Amino acid sequence: MKVVGKNVRKVDGIALVTGQPVFTLDVTPPGAVVGKILRSPHAHAEIVRIDTSKAEELPGVLCILHHGNVPRTPYTTAGQGWPEPSPYDSFLFDRKVRFVGDRVAAVAATSEEIADEALRLIEVEYRQLPAVLVPEEAIGPGAPVIHDEEESRGIHDPQHNVAAAIDIRVGDIERGFTESDVVVETTCEFPYVQHVPLESHCVVAYLDEEDRLVIRSATQVPFHVRRIVARALGVPLSRIRVIKPRIGGGFGTKQEIILEDVAAALALRTRRPVVMKYSRAEEFVAARTRHPMKIRIKLGAKRDGTIHAIEMDVLSNTGAYGTHSLTVLSNVGSKTLPLYNKAPHLWFHGKAVYTNLPVAGAYRGYGATQGYFALEVAVDELAEKLGMDPLKLRLANHIRAGETSPIFEKIGEGRAGKAQVVKSCALEECIREGAKRIGWKEKHGKKTSEGRWVHGVGMALSMQGSGITDIDMAAATIVMNEDGSFRLLVGATDLGTGSDTILAQIAAETLGVAVEAISVYSSDTDFTPFDTGAYASSTTYVSGGAVLRAAQEARRRILEVAAAILGEPPESLDLEEGHAVSRGTGKKVPLSEVGHRAMYVTDQRHIIATASFVAPESPPPFAAFFAEVAVDVETGVVRVVKFVAAADCGMPINPALAEGQLEGAIVQGIGHTLYEELLFSPRGRVRNPNLFDYRIPTAADVPDIEVVLIPSDEPTGPYGAKSIGEIGINGPAPAIANAIYDAIGVRLYRIPFTPERVLKALHGKSMG
Amino acid sequence: MTRDASKKMLKIYFELNGEPMYVEIKPGEMLLDLLRRLGMKSVKEGCRTGECGACTVLLDGKPVRSCLTFAAKIKGHRVTTLEGLGSPANPHPLQEAFLETGAVQCGFCTPGMILVAYDLLSRNPDPTPEEVREAITGNLCRCTGYVKIVEAVLLAAKRRREGVWR
Amino acid sequence: MGIKRFHYARDVEEALSLLAAYEGRGALLAGGVDLARGLAPEVEGLIDVTTAGLAGISADGGGLRVGATTTLEAIRRSQEAQGYLGGFLAKVMGHVATLPLRNMATLGGAVVSAHPWADIPTALVALGAEAVWQNEELTEKASVEELYRRPFRAIFRRALLTEVRFPAWDGAFAFEKVARNAGDIALINCACGLGLDGEGKIAWARVAIGATPHRAKRLTAVEDFLTDEAPSEELWAEAAHKMKTEVEVGDDMRASAEWRRSAAAAIVRRALDRAAKGVTGDA
Repeated sequence: MKVVGKNVRKVDGIALVTGQPVFTLDVTPPGAVVGKILRSPHAHAEIVRIDTSKAEELPGVLCILHHGNVPRTPYTTAGQGWPEPSPYDSFLFDRKVRFVGDRVAAVAATSEEIADEALRLIEVEYRQLPAVLVPEEAIGPGAPVIHDEEESRGIHDPQHNVAAAIDIRVGDIERGFTESDVVVETTCEFPYVQHVPLESHCVVAYLDEEDRLVIRSATQVPFHVRRIVARALGVPLSRIRVIKPRIGGGFGTKQEIILEDVAAALALRTRRPVVMKYSRAEEFVAARTRHPMKIRIKLGAKRDGTIHAIEMDVLSNTGAYGTHSLTVLSNVGSKTLPLYNKAPHLWFHGKAVYTNLPVAGAYRGYGATQGYFALEVAVDELAEKLGMDPLKLRLANHIRAGETSPIFEKIGEGRAGKAQVVKSCALEECIREGAKRIGWKEKHGKKTSEGRWVHGVGMALSMQGSGITDIDMAAATIVMNEDGSFRLLVGATDLGTGSDTILAQIAAETLGVAVEAISVYSSDTDFTPFDTGAYASSTTYVSGGAVLRAAQEARRRILEVAAAILGEPPESLDLEEGHAVSRGTGKKVPLSEVGHRAMYVTDQRHIIATASFVAPESPPPFAAFFAEVAVDVETGVVRVVKFVAAADCGMPINPALAEGQLEGAIVQGIGHTLYEELLFSPRGRVRNPNLFDYRIPTAADVPDIEVVLIPSDEPTGPYGAKSIGEIGINGPAPAIANAIYDAIGVRLYRIPFTPERVLKALHGKSMG
Repeated sequence: MTRDASKKMLKIYFELNGEPMYVEIKPGEMLLDLLRRLGMKSVKEGCRTGECGACTVLLDGKPVRSCLTFAAKIKGHRVTTLEGLGSPANPHPLQEAFLETGAVQCGFCTPGMILVAYDLLSRNPDPTPEEVREAITGNLCRCTGYVKIVEAVLLAAKRRREGVWR
Repeated sequence: MGIKRFHYARDVEEALSLLAAYEGRGALLAGGVDLARGLAPEVEGLIDVTTAGLAGISADGGGLRVGATTTLEAIRRSQEAQGYLGGFLAKVMGHVATLPLRNMATLGGAVVSAHPWADIPTALVALGAEAVWQNEELTEKASVEELYRRPFRAIFRRALLTEVRFPAWDGAFAFEKVARNAGDIALINCACGLGLDGEGKIAWARVAIGATPHRAKRLTAVEDFLTDEAPSEELWAEAAHKMKTEVEVGDDMRASAEWRRSAAAAIVRRALDRAAKGVTGDA
């Protein structure tokens, strides 16, 4: 292959590396005004009265929106395909606030200073309600009902604050445990952590020359934004255009309608361009977070190490609104249980519960991250009880190519799943390669100490998915220019991941040209075909599938014209190095001549091809993670010395970009494993909504990281590709937990593993 | 820029990417906002509290946080932003190195990162990987895990020692 | 921001007279890191003191004199600081924040803001550093340790810190810090110094612990305990044990008192050991 599998430079790279003004806030229309949001100081309250008169009198204030002057339509802010499998429990502005930081009102003013002053002048009378901050209490008797409004739909059990629930059984779980020779049970906990994209949410909304609403937003889901804003504001979808410029990171927090609805409403009301952005504090409090979870896991195995029964019981905290509550909950099981597919008895059940806390949403890993923390810690405990090497136990139990799991069929994304057979799986090689590179045999069980540092190694496995079966749809258009170059139009959303680049590589490979011959235009709902957006690790596999098919159709049309030029049948022609070449005679014609002839000379037509693709399956990527830690036994400080990830993403379209996804996800995972956590006051206020106190990894914190891509050939993927975007973040928490156990003989079940938690565990006072 | 009559505006002279500038600023204006309104969009706002590094620029050649620098303080000084280093038509070798190693994902941290790397290499032409990591500790990146960024700086250092620089 | 005027003070006197004229609504601006992060709403006027000629570092006998507006990074890189106590002060600077912030923050700013979690006050207290400041009437000086026992925030509402003086010591110091990650503030820190007599016994000891979460204090009981003893691992362990009952620790969002007590013992032992090795040259 000429282009696929090569470390082609990012197509947007030169603009980024020279600081070109390509991000949302870098271009502001003249006359733009500033939008700002008034936020609730209470965790749970009714808005009895809002008086905006003083604020409106302030010169420079153009409009103030609140529940009294906007449509009341329930919707979900989740950037998911219709029908969104999340409750419709959000309103543009509600009569109630449900967490400290919830929206109360919004102001448009001619400057930030005036907007801030206006916010101070808005008078709000609240009637405080009892707040519930603990999921167990929220579903308990006597808890305040957080969503007691009539209009909301799709909430599983609003009276008990249950946003979503799941209960999946395979086989007979009771029998499964009875038949097991060894049983372990453990509960692992994942707290509130945030994505911390370097660019916080931002948007510019304005009316164009045809009075259509244009929303320029740092979004992962432009088409969902268009549809959901249309619904929320009662504006026809055809009158809205959403453009995604370059984005400064997303990781799932931008798979959400966060500011677009408010900015659009202000733009429509004021008829001025409106610029809105989140401060870093707002980004922590009022964007989205990971779903905090408590996962109780029970594993039963036979004496020979075969896992025979698995129970996972999940309590997920979805915060004040239920966006992504069902699907993240489902993924805890759907992305983990198939990994150990030998177990015939499974019970996966759980609830996603409302609390009066910040809103949890989509975050890289999407439930699998929390699930693997619990599962892989439990598997290590099982290995210990069996007296087996945890590596050997995993080798004996993991899924292989040609196999399936009943879970694929049982759990979908808010609907029934679909049976599938794993067609590509290099996990065994990933495990062996990773073990070699970390020095598993030499280091595991040795507790090597140098002074106060004790070393240990631990491992974890993971699989994820590649897009959402039968639901995620992507489309792509290839347009040939008369000079033989191409435009690739895709709805697919590049958030820095490099999707524009790898999609261009797929097209270039198929058309027999260099990547430079393809210019990519993406994520503009007016000009690019549909794509559900960048989530569920779908871009390479699903969007790539559409690009492949569009390119193949374009190829067919090119060859038709080339055949006429060369006087040979199209079946005998290939596309190579910018030419159509006859396999038989060697005669060739450059694409520039093909394009020129088709555009101007004879039998004129514009060579364009569009294709859509919905994946009938979701081939999982696989990864094996290995961590070496050093624990300071006097202070509890944990240092990650080395981290190895061996991953099977099928064929890596661009190995450097694939490695970059793994490296970034691993470091992000080390952050939540060792120091990231949102802390709350007793009244539900976030105490550390800033980077001073919510620490994310710096360059000096990064261990020696080795990532290795182990290829497999996925027959259903474009050039054999699967996906890589999320899986890396599932490894650090369990691998490091298991490594800490190897070092100091203490298990920790609750991240982050702060020096405090580790020292306490060492002193035996409590576990985790 | 809306005027507030009670604020005594300042006129300051400074050098921006080698160009003399004479601009009027508000007394409490921060350098980040001044630079962005002068068109230097490479200077990013990430946190406004000096923690993330996305706003980092060079003041008399030294990396500082423009979000915490009062614009008035740059009177008579030299400011360098990424725009001053290279352009799409003529990228600086450091920028090339970042492209070559895949050190740019979303690109939001990149301007500050490159300027700090530029400062490092002007003082230490042969840094160890650890020295590179230490120098860029103050520039947060959430996308790359820093691995390829360190590779890029080391590659640029090598090129600089070979005479490919400016 | 409600800033209405910006002034460039030409000297200390001008800075002070401007400050007085603002009657509480003015602020002295050095590096600006703390000020920009937490500007009080009533402040109308900023008085830049980095233009008042207060930057500079010079050796003074075996000690050091550092102008108040010298940046932390300038101190770190200076030959003078690298030559003082084997580079101890320079090393402490390296622990503080990150490079771009050190290029802005000044030593004077660190003394005046005196954040309890900060590293520099701990080192200054251990070193017996002396602060020199001027208000409209007179020039005063006191050890930083003594200064922090006074109502120093009130002092600096009408005064400008001009210089910090570091005495000569015949011995070595070491600094230790536990933080969540690189560039972070301390969960706990300490600075310890030792000097040995002709027989190799401890002639003097300085032990300061900070970020407890309270501001740095010397543990004179531990210092007395160490004096006249022979350095050894056992001695450090005993000193750390003694320190556990002497040190006042508390809970905050970052760590608990219980953890701080344990960690303080660990880092004091390490710092004493390193300081002792620094004296004998075994470091």
